[in-house]
Amino acid sequence: MTIFHLIVFLPLLGAIVAGLFGRAIGDRAAMAATCVPMVIAAVLSWVGFYLIVHGGPVLVPLFTWIDSGSFEVSWALKVDQLTAVMLVVVNTVSAVVHVYSIGYMAEDPHKPRFFAYLSLFTFAMLMLVTSDNFVQLYFGWEGVGLCSYLLIGFWYERPSANAAAIKAFVVNRVGDFGFALGIMGIFLVFGSVSFDTVFQAAPTQVGKTIHFLGYDFDVLTTLCLLLFLGAMGKSAQLGLHTWLPDAMEGPTPVSALIHAATMVTAGVFMVARCSPLFEYAPTALAVVGVVGASTAIFAATVGLVQNDIKRVIAYSTCSQLGYMFFAAGMSAYPAAIFHLFTHAFFKALLFLGAGSVIHAMHHEQDMRNMGGLAKHIKITYVLMWIGSLALAGLPFFSGYFSKDMILEAAFGAHSTVGGYAFVLGMLAAVLTAFYSWRLLFMTFHGPRHEAHGHDAHGHDAHHEPHESPQVMLIPLYVLALGALFAGVVFAPMMIGEHMHEFWGKSILILENHTAMEAAHHVPLWVKLLPIGAGLLGIFVAFQMYIRKPGSGAALAKVNPGLYQFLLHKWYFDELYDLIFVRPAKWLGYKLWKEGDGRVIDGMGPDNIALRVAQLAKRAAGLQSGYLFHYAFAMLAGVAILVTYYFTTMMGH
Amino acid sequence: MFVAKDLAPLVPELFVAVSAMVLLLYGVFAKGNPTRTVVWASVLVLVVALVLVWQVPAGRQAVLSGMFVTDSFTAVMKSLVLIGSAVSLVLSVGFIRQEEMERFEFPVLLLLATVGMMMMVSANDLISLYVGLELQSLALYVVAAFRRDSERSTEAGLKYFVLGALSSGMLLYGASLIYGFAGSTNFTDLAKLFAGGHGHVSVGLVVGIVFLAAGLAFKVSAVPFHMWTPDVYEGAPTAVTAFFASAPKVAAMALFVRAIISPFGALVAEWQQIIILLAGASMLLGAFAAIWQKNIKRLMAYSSIGHVGFALVGLAAGTSEGVRGVVVYMAVYLAMTLGTFACILAMRQKNGLVEGIDDLAGLARTQPGMAFALAVFMFSLAGVPPLAGFFGKFYVFMAAINAKLYVLSVIGVLSSVVGAFYYLRIVKIMYFDAPGEPFLHPMPRELGVVAAVASLFTLLFVVFPMPILNGAAMAAKALFP
Amino acid sequence: MDALLREYLPILIFLGLAIGLAAVMGLVPFITARQKPDPEKLSTYECGFEPFSDSRKQFDVRFYLVAILFIIFDLEVAFLFPWAISLGEIGPFGFWSMMVFLGVLTVGFVYEWKKGALEWE
Repeated sequence: MTIFHLIVFLPLLGAIVAGLFGRAIGDRAAMAATCVPMVIAAVLSWVGFYLIVHGGPVLVPLFTWIDSGSFEVSWALKVDQLTAVMLVVVNTVSAVVHVYSIGYMAEDPHKPRFFAYLSLFTFAMLMLVTSDNFVQLYFGWEGVGLCSYLLIGFWYERPSANAAAIKAFVVNRVGDFGFALGIMGIFLVFGSVSFDTVFQAAPTQVGKTIHFLGYDFDVLTTLCLLLFLGAMGKSAQLGLHTWLPDAMEGPTPVSALIHAATMVTAGVFMVARCSPLFEYAPTALAVVGVVGASTAIFAATVGLVQNDIKRVIAYSTCSQLGYMFFAAGMSAYPAAIFHLFTHAFFKALLFLGAGSVIHAMHHEQDMRNMGGLAKHIKITYVLMWIGSLALAGLPFFSGYFSKDMILEAAFGAHSTVGGYAFVLGMLAAVLTAFYSWRLLFMTFHGPRHEAHGHDAHGHDAHHEPHESPQVMLIPLYVLALGALFAGVVFAPMMIGEHMHEFWGKSILILENHTAMEAAHHVPLWVKLLPIGAGLLGIFVAFQMYIRKPGSGAALAKVNPGLYQFLLHKWYFDELYDLIFVRPAKWLGYKLWKEGDGRVIDGMGPDNIALRVAQLAKRAAGLQSGYLFHYAFAMLAGVAILVTYYFTTMMGH
Repeated sequence: MFVAKDLAPLVPELFVAVSAMVLLLYGVFAKGNPTRTVVWASVLVLVVALVLVWQVPAGRQAVLSGMFVTDSFTAVMKSLVLIGSAVSLVLSVGFIRQEEMERFEFPVLLLLATVGMMMMVSANDLISLYVGLELQSLALYVVAAFRRDSERSTEAGLKYFVLGALSSGMLLYGASLIYGFAGSTNFTDLAKLFAGGHGHVSVGLVVGIVFLAAGLAFKVSAVPFHMWTPDVYEGAPTAVTAFFASAPKVAAMALFVRAIISPFGALVAEWQQIIILLAGASMLLGAFAAIWQKNIKRLMAYSSIGHVGFALVGLAAGTSEGVRGVVVYMAVYLAMTLGTFACILAMRQKNGLVEGIDDLAGLARTQPGMAFALAVFMFSLAGVPPLAGFFGKFYVFMAAINAKLYVLSVIGVLSSVVGAFYYLRIVKIMYFDAPGEPFLHPMPRELGVVAAVASLFTLLFVVFPMPILNGAAMAAKALFP
Repeated sequence: MDALLREYLPILIFLGLAIGLAAVMGLVPFITARQKPDPEKLSTYECGFEPFSDSRKQFDVRFYLVAILFIIFDLEVAFLFPWAISLGEIGPFGFWSMMVFLGVLTVGFVYEWKKGALEWE
C-alpha cells in the first residue's frame, strides 16, 4: 500500500459508494462519500508530486491482467514526473469541481448519480495517466470517454443533451479507432505493449518500413500518426473537434473538469508520454505541429462570434489545446505540459466562473441577455478577470509563462512548421484576448438586458442576480490562486534552466531538436510580442463593446459572408452532415429495409428460427417419460458408438 | 507394510467419511430435530475437508497399491466438488425446512456422496473407480427420492436407480473387457502398456473403452445417455436438483477425463471419435430441446446436457490444453449453476415454490437484485463476453481448434447461438413482461449471499482470471506427465 | 490318474455319509412320529403368504426391509470367511481393515436399531 494506491483508488471508492448505494444512503452522504476521498486524494497527489520530484519515478505493480502467449499486460501504476504533474492537475481540479458541484447541483434530483460519475471519471483519468502500458492507457482512455458520454448526457430528458452525448461518443470513436490500430501496430512491430520495452526499442525501428496494400510506410511515422489520430479525437483537434462545443450541454462543472482541464488534455499527455516514439518520427511531429496551429487559429476565429457563454470558453479550450499540440510538434513537450498545467487552473476557473454567472442568472447562458452583472456579483466578476488575464497571457499571470514559452519555442524551431505555428499562434493570441474581453464586457458591463420568458424556477418573473454561495466560491479562490501563481512558481522548474533535471527520463527530446533551448535565446521583440498581442485584443474589444456598443453588430452587417462563416463554425457540422451523416443514414436505411429485412431476415434468421423451432419440438418430443425408452436409447447409443467405430476406424 | 505416511493422501476422504458416520450417530441419538445442526456441521466438515485437500503431500502420491492417487488435478477437482457440495447444502437449508424434508439423513447422504465423488476424482484403477462411483450413486438415488410421499420425487428416484444400474452394468462390462484384453485394471500399468503408441490395440479393448465411456457418459449425462436427466431434474426436490447439477457433474467429468486420458492417453486416435460424437450430440440436443421447456428445472437439465457437451469438446482435443479447458469450464459452470439454482430456490410464492419460466415475468420490477443476478447467469450460460461463461467456452474451443477439430468447433459455436435463445428469453421475460404474482420478499439470506457471490465471480472473472487459469493449467499438467 | 482319484476319496466318503445320514433322518420321522395333518400344516411355509398367486398382490413391505438387512450381514459373513483363513498372511493391516469394515457396519446397525427398523410393529 503506497500513497499512490490511495491517490488512484480513493476516487473509485467514492464512485462505488455513491453509485451503488447512493439511493440508500441519501444525497448528503453520497456527496460526502465522493468529495472527502477526492479532497484527500488531491492533497496526497501534491505530496506525491513532492516525493516524485525529489525521489525519482516509482513503479507500483498491481497484478497481471492478461497473459496469453507473448501478449502480457499487467496493471501497474507508473508514476514518473510527467504522471506526477498530471496527478496534481487531475486531482486538484477534480476535488475543486466536486466541492463546487455541491452548490451548483444543489437543486438537481440526481445528485448521487452525478457525483458517482464525476468520481468514476476521475478514477478513469488517473488510470490513464498512471498506465505503464498501452492497453491500460487504452482502458483509461475509453473509461474517460464513457464517463464523458454519461456526463454530457446527464440531463437525459433533454434531447439536445442526448444528441450531444452521442455525437461526442461517435466522433471519439473515429479517433479511438486510429488509436486502437496504433496500439495493435505497436504490438505487431515491437512484440510488446509495455511502455518501457517499446520506448527502448524505438530507435531500432528508425527508417524501417511496413508493406501494406502495395505501399511502403515508414513504421514509426505510421504508428505515431495513428496514435495522434486518437489524440485528435480526445483533444478535439481540427477535424475531430465538432463534439467539444456540443458537449457544453452537460452541467457546467463537467465542462470545467472534463472538457477543459483533464480529459481533453489526455491527447497532449499521450503525445508527451510517447515522446520517445514521436522524436524519431519527424514527419509525424510536423503533422502534430500543423494540426495544432491550425486548430488554435480556427477555434479562436469561431470563438469571436459565439453568444453562448460556455461555447465561447469551449472554443477557447479547443484553441488552447491547439497551442499545446503545436508545442509538442516543436519537440517542446515540457512547454506543452506546462501550458496544460496552467491552463487547467485558469480554464477551470473561467468555466466555474461562467457557471457562477449562469447560476446567478438562473440557467441563462446567452450573453446577449446578460450585461451589467458586475455590480451584482462582484466576486465572480473579479475572479473572471483573473482567469481572463491568465488566458490572455498578460505578464505575471500563469498563462503568460506557458504561452510565451510555446510561442518562443515555435519561433526558436527555425523551421517552416515553426514559422507557420508562430504566426498563427500570435494571431490567435490577439483573438483570444478579444473574445475573452468580449465575454467580460457583454456579461458584466453595459446595460442589463432582461431575459424574457425564461424562468426555470417558476419564481416571480423578475429577480435580481445573486452571488453564489461560499461552497461555490471557495473552489474558485483555489483555482484563482493557481491562475495567479502556478506560472511564476513552477515555470523555473518545468520550463526553465533546470527543466532537464525536473523531467528526468519521463520525456525524451533528441539532441538536435533544439526548440526549447532556442526559446531562451530569442530576440526581445519575440518575447514582447505576445504581450502586445494580448493588449491589442483587449483594446479592440474595449473599443467595440464599451466605447461604441453596437459596432460589433455593424461589423457583422458589413461582412455578412464572413460573419455567417464564423457563426457556423466554418460549416464543419454541415459538411460532415452532408458527407458522412446523410449518406450513412441513407445506406443504413437501405441496408435495414432491403438488405437486412428482405434478404437476410427473410432467408436467414426468420427462416432458420422457424426450422430451429420445429427441430426443438422434435428434440423435446424424444423425452417420452417411459423408462424402457430411455434404456433402449442407452443400448442403442452403445450399439451406434461401436458400429461407428468399426465402420470408420477399421480402415487403418 | 502399513505406515501412517500411506494414509496421508487419504486424510480428506477419511475425515469426511468418519464425520458422516459420527453425524449419523449424533442425529439418531439426538433429542428433537437435529437437522439444522447436522446441516451446518456438514458444511463445516466440507470446508475443513477443502483445507485438508490442500494439506496432503504435494506432487503425485499413489497409495493403496496404486489404486488411489493424489496430484494437482485431484486437488483442484476435489476443491470444486467440495465447494459444490457445501454450497448445495447451504442452498438446501431453507428448502428442506419448508418442504417438510427436514430429516438429518439428508446432509449425511450428501456427505457420503461427496466421499464417493472424492474417491472418483482420485481413482487410479478401474476397481476403485467403480467403488467410488457406486458410493456416490447409491447416495444420489436415495436423495432423488427423498420426498417419499411425492409421486414425482419417487418416480425420479426409481428412474435414476434403474437406469443408473444399467449404466453401471455397462461400465463393469467395459472394465472387464479392458482387463481381459489388456491384463490390468490399473491406470498406470495400462498407460505403460500403450505408451509410445506401439503394441497391438485389439478390437475387444476398444469395445471395452466404448462401454466404459458409455457408463461414464451416463454419469455426466451426455447424449445419448442423458435421457434420465430432464425427468430426474424436474422430479427431484429442487435443492437436490441443485446438488445433482453441481458437485456430481464436476466429479463425473473429472473421472471421465482421468479414466480416458490417464490409461488411454496414447490411444487418442482410437477414442477421439467417440468423444466427438458424444460432445457434438450433447451440444446440439442441449441447445434444441430446451427451447420449448416451460419448467425452469427441466430447462436447466437440458442446459446442463449442453454444457457437458461443451466441456467434452476439451476432452475430445485430448491435449493438456484441452484438459485445462475442461477444468476451467467446470469451475465456471459450477459457479453459474449454483447461482442460478440459488435464484430458482427463491422462486417462492404464497402457495409454495413455483418452477415455471413464466412465473419470472416482470421480476426486474419486483426484485431487481435477483433479476440482475439471474440475468448475469443467463448471459454467462449463453457465453456472452465478457462474462465467465464466455471464457469457459473460449478455452475449450481454442483447444479444439488447435487439435484441428474444426467441425466440432463449428457445431459448438452454432449450438451456443441456438442456446442463447432460451437463456436470453428468460432475461426478456424478467425485464420486459408484465409482472405476475410476485415472489415472497426478501430472498432468504443464504440464497442471496450465494447468488451475489456467484454473480460477482461471473462478472469479475475477466478481471482476475489468473487464479483459475493457473489452477487449471496446473491440474492439466498432472495428467500429462 | 490313480493318485488324483485317491485324493478325492475322502470327499466320496463324506458324500456317502452325508447322503446316508440325511436319508435316515428324513425317513425316521415317517416311521416313528405321530401324524395328524391339517391344511395349514400341509402348505409350504414362505414368509406367511401363498407361494403361488397373482404377482401384483399386495404384501407387507417390511419383509423386504428385513430381507435387505439380512443380506447385508449375510455378505459380511461371506466376507469374513476368506479373511479368517488368510489372516496369518495379511498381517495387522488386514486385521485392522476388517475391524474398520466391521466398525462401519456397526454404525449402520446402530442406526437401524435406533430408527426402529428391526421392530416388526
